Amino acid sequence: MATAVVARPVARPQARARDEEVLVWPDLVFIEFIAAMLFTITLFFLATVMNAPLLDQANADVTPNPSKAPWYLLNLQELLLHMNAAMAGVIIPSIWLGIMAAFPYFDRENDGQGVWFGTERAVKITIISGLVGIIGTWFLILWDSGKIAFFLNDWFGLSGGDNLRFLENVRSMQTQLPWPEWASDITYLPFNLKLLASDAPGGPTEFQNLDFPGWLVEQGIPIMAIVGLPSLMIYAMWKAGWVLTRRDALLALFSGFIGAYGILTLVGTAFRGQGQELVFPWELKVSEGIPGQE
Amino acid sequence: MAIETPTKPTLGDKIYDALFHNYVWKSIFRTGYPNTPRNQMLVVATNVFLHLHPTRIHRTHVKITHTYCLGGLSFFMFLGLTITGILLMFYYVPSVDRAYLDIENIQTNVQFGQMMRNLHRWMAHAMVILVFLHMMRVFYTGAYKPPREFNWVVGVILLVLTFLLSFTGYLLPWDQLAFWAITVGTNIAGSAPVLGPKSRFWLLGGLQVGPDALIRFYTLHVIGLPLLAAIFMAVHFWRIRRDGGLARPL
Repeated sequence: MATAVVARPVARPQARARDEEVLVWPDLVFIEFIAAMLFTITLFFLATVMNAPLLDQANADVTPNPSKAPWYLLNLQELLLHMNAAMAGVIIPSIWLGIMAAFPYFDRENDGQGVWFGTERAVKITIISGLVGIIGTWFLILWDSGKIAFFLNDWFGLSGGDNLRFLENVRSMQTQLPWPEWASDITYLPFNLKLLASDAPGGPTEFQNLDFPGWLVEQGIPIMAIVGLPSLMIYAMWKAGWVLTRRDALLALFSGFIGAYGILTLVGTAFRGQGQELVFPWELKVSEGIPGQE
Repeated sequence: MAIETPTKPTLGDKIYDALFHNYVWKSIFRTGYPNTPRNQMLVVATNVFLHLHPTRIHRTHVKITHTYCLGGLSFFMFLGLTITGILLMFYYVPSVDRAYLDIENIQTNVQFGQMMRNLHRWMAHAMVILVFLHMMRVFYTGAYKPPREFNWVVGVILLVLTFLLSFTGYLLPWDQLAFWAITVGTNIAGSAPVLGPKSRFWLLGGLQVGPDALIRFYTLHVIGLPLLAAIFMAVHFWRIRRDGGLARPL
């Protein structure tokens, strides 16, 4: 019986083509020097014309409205407005960082490296999924802030009446649907390690009540949107014959993320006014929270 | 066949010899001025800073559009932030009583103090953006593919460290912007299931942003996180060389 030796696809040392190579000094060092100089000059210029902000001294009793995290965390602060806090602030970003770190263990093919985009349809996939991320996220934010219902009502005179009120935003599904009484009071036994210990100090695990409509709008629908919509997009692209390899699937996923992340950051930074209301950037005002000056 | 007759050394040759062929220069640099291929390779191989690079690289990698220098510039920002940060540390005391006054003092009484603070802040923003763009560049050029899998993971860790470095620095001016941004930011961290409240307490040294939070953020910002980032950067750069330099088509 022949023993099949399956070669693991590892990168083989490349034959060095000396005539394809250039010397690091001066060819690379020169470029690095120019890049460093350009940045130094630009930053010195910026530091000359624009001062770092400094507001009044910190005061725990005076809350500015809106209070915002540093700009690179405003994407999370924006997510926080639409779902359960733990999910938006910690679970989703942690899982996403894990997924990103795992990219190379999912896409293990050697080919297509070292060139921009690399596969036949990469540019198309990148642009389309980026746009889906941008437009989709905008749409979801507008919907959840009730703006779409507002536009339809105020601008076009369209109203779904009371029967369709539950479509106004995510939260209205909890309040406007005729949920049966038991739906907001489902008894369940949470998984708890105390169950495994017969002499647990906390006593036996108690039954708890689940508010299903609340769970649905806080966690169920957001999870479905965040997991489902990208999956659906990649599936559609696969059906359309665009996504052929794992690399293509990652291109779609990553580009969709960049689009959504960019929009979340932008909306959180420039479109959230007092009380985290959705406003246009030119309507954005910050109340410093000083009594008498609101 | 014409025979080359030796010419007398010009003034330029003499200055060149005096500058680059003297005992002191050679004790520092070993090689002469890098104007011959031999010296150019030697200078890269024998200089502790330059030997981060190989002596030769593939011609596609010096094309600016291949990397846009994003990784190198992120590191350059880190260096600039270290320098401006050390200068700011001369004047800044991380106590609730002094922090804000020290910042005002830096801006008004210290020579070039406002400049240093501005540079530190804009470089910090630039570093966050550059690191993010560098990640996008690596992804879109497929440079995470084998054998560079692990270096991509190190890169994701460095991205998180960059965010944390920026976040911890945000509190230090102790103004309203800092205080409330960190309150909102740590509330986000505190919402995590199971570990959330504990990690928030650990980060703030209490239940709300106060003196203990300030000293913790300061310590993390000026020594803890930079040290960690430097270690991961060393691994990151080392692995670039070990994994065969920049990615290129096989």
